[in-house]
Amino acid sequence: MVNQRWVLDLVERVGAVAQGATVTVPLGDGDPGQLVQNVGAWCARTGNELVEVRENVATVRRGRSPDPLAELAPDQVPGTRLWMYTNFDCNLACDYCCARSSPQAPRRALGIDRIRRLAGEAADAGVIELLLTGGEPFLLPDIDDLVAACTAVLPTTLLTNGMLFRGRRLEALRRMDRTRLALQISLDSATPDLHDQHRGRGSWSRAVAGIRTAHAEGFRVRVAATLPPEQTHQLEPFHTFLDSLGIAREDQVIRALAHRGVAEHGLELTIESLIPEVTITADGVYWHPVSADHPDQLVTHDLFPLHAAITEVRRRFTEHRARATAAAQWFPCA
Amino acid sequence: MSKPLIVGSVAYTPNVVTIWEGMRDYFADGPAEMDFVLFSNYARQVDALLEGTIDIAWNTNLAWVRTVARTDGACRALAMRDTDTVFRTMFVARSGSALGGLENLKGKRLALGSKDSAQAAILPVHFLGRAGLGPDDVELVRINSDVGKHGDTGRSELDALRAVLDEHADAAAIGINTWEAIGREELMPGAFEVFWESPTYCHCNFTVLAGLAEDRVEPWVDKLLAMDWDDPQHRPILEMEGLRQWVSPQLDGYASLFEAVREQEISIRW
Repeated sequence: MVNQRWVLDLVERVGAVAQGATVTVPLGDGDPGQLVQNVGAWCARTGNELVEVRENVATVRRGRSPDPLAELAPDQVPGTRLWMYTNFDCNLACDYCCARSSPQAPRRALGIDRIRRLAGEAADAGVIELLLTGGEPFLLPDIDDLVAACTAVLPTTLLTNGMLFRGRRLEALRRMDRTRLALQISLDSATPDLHDQHRGRGSWSRAVAGIRTAHAEGFRVRVAATLPPEQTHQLEPFHTFLDSLGIAREDQVIRALAHRGVAEHGLELTIESLIPEVTITADGVYWHPVSADHPDQLVTHDLFPLHAAITEVRRRFTEHRARATAAAQWFPCA
Repeated sequence: MSKPLIVGSVAYTPNVVTIWEGMRDYFADGPAEMDFVLFSNYARQVDALLEGTIDIAWNTNLAWVRTVARTDGACRALAMRDTDTVFRTMFVARSGSALGGLENLKGKRLALGSKDSAQAAILPVHFLGRAGLGPDDVELVRINSDVGKHGDTGRSELDALRAVLDEHADAAAIGINTWEAIGREELMPGAFEVFWESPTYCHCNFTVLAGLAEDRVEPWVDKLLAMDWDDPQHRPILEMEGLRQWVSPQLDGYASLFEAVREQEISIRW
């Protein structure tokens, strides 16, 4: 039998709890779809939130959950920045690479056509910055065309190990738009030891040389270090060294090593613990660049339309946060 | 800097804490800092106002009437919600009851809310009197839940509606806020219909004693009236408190309640 009093019960129970708390109200028998519609209508007019109707019992939250997207800094909102993996092969085989890149890794190139289309759709979808990464993008013979397709539309950052700025690749670098492109070069330490230990002998010297070259060519250079979490407290000598290379402090990026890819240790990063940064590879759309080779963070195989992928990432992020908030509500005590 | 103004409010729902913490934060950046004290009922709050424990009381209409009576008018209202200026009592019955107005209640049972609820008890009896119905004409089914909170919880009004559904009463008198909260006729189709709607009257206001210095009151009121529905920082508080805009008080809107309290010889204390 339909319980016609559920509205009265809802008003009374919701009024007796604090904002954000949930109440349950039996709805009696009836068509589940209709019951959801009825309680949803009540919630819509009274500014409350229907959590679920299960076995004809409604769970309603007093007030509305805060919008998780509104709580993020503007540049953290998923879809504000778009990452693209240009390729997965690399001239290095770093022992902590989250993308499992190496000279033996298949290229899996995104390609100029898709990058051009993604860049175009990105601007329309509200993206304000493009980031190209790999693998090592300078292994691609058309890297300057890929970059041009991006810088023509939006400010762009190109991640590289900085070791290949010679010959035709240096010429390609020189053709890139200095006013729209920043280079982000990987360097892990102020001296060769630590860097070379993870990335290969001689790689530190060549990376430093690459930083100097990029600077000399007039590019803005960011330097990004990947460090085990326990080493992130000994940074001052590294900052001092980067200062000596002319890298602005705001362009000195320190990232904690993630337990992803071939890394044996590092931070455990899951969809629940990561604020997403929409990431495109040749295989699909991923939650975050640190997990672009991991099925657990694959969002969809469909790269297009890009706005649909961004919408889906935002939807899932909102859903995860709502679930986390609800869990905190249900288990408030240690 | 002068000490914060202390605002009293009755804790009729846990949300009151959220509301007043939000209000305190809003006022924190000056020029009229405030803090708040919660009371379990309006009698204690009015006592505290008269004793000087609080500077401002967020009063119901009955608490306002009692404050006026106990101070011989040496008090004033500072502001109210836009929704307070258009409060109404709705007389509802089962759909299809064929009740067409108050006069049709003769010989019927009318469920009323808490005896200290202006909207669900005191004013309904006043309106019956204006319609020519005396104590012997209508059987009053009084539901005195949450006495002391002047009907703020709404519980007695919901119980009055349940009384109608249970056929313990033929009609119920409830505030427009409760009628809105249950979704009017729309969410319980075939359950209730309004057969008489009262003239508008005023509900809550911020009350101060006449002696509170104007240079303390004015900046507080100015800041209050500046709360903006379109400001995302302000809106959650306004939504929870049930208004879109704070407005200047409209004292004419209390005339019917002053009259009702006098007619029904309602105590000026409880």
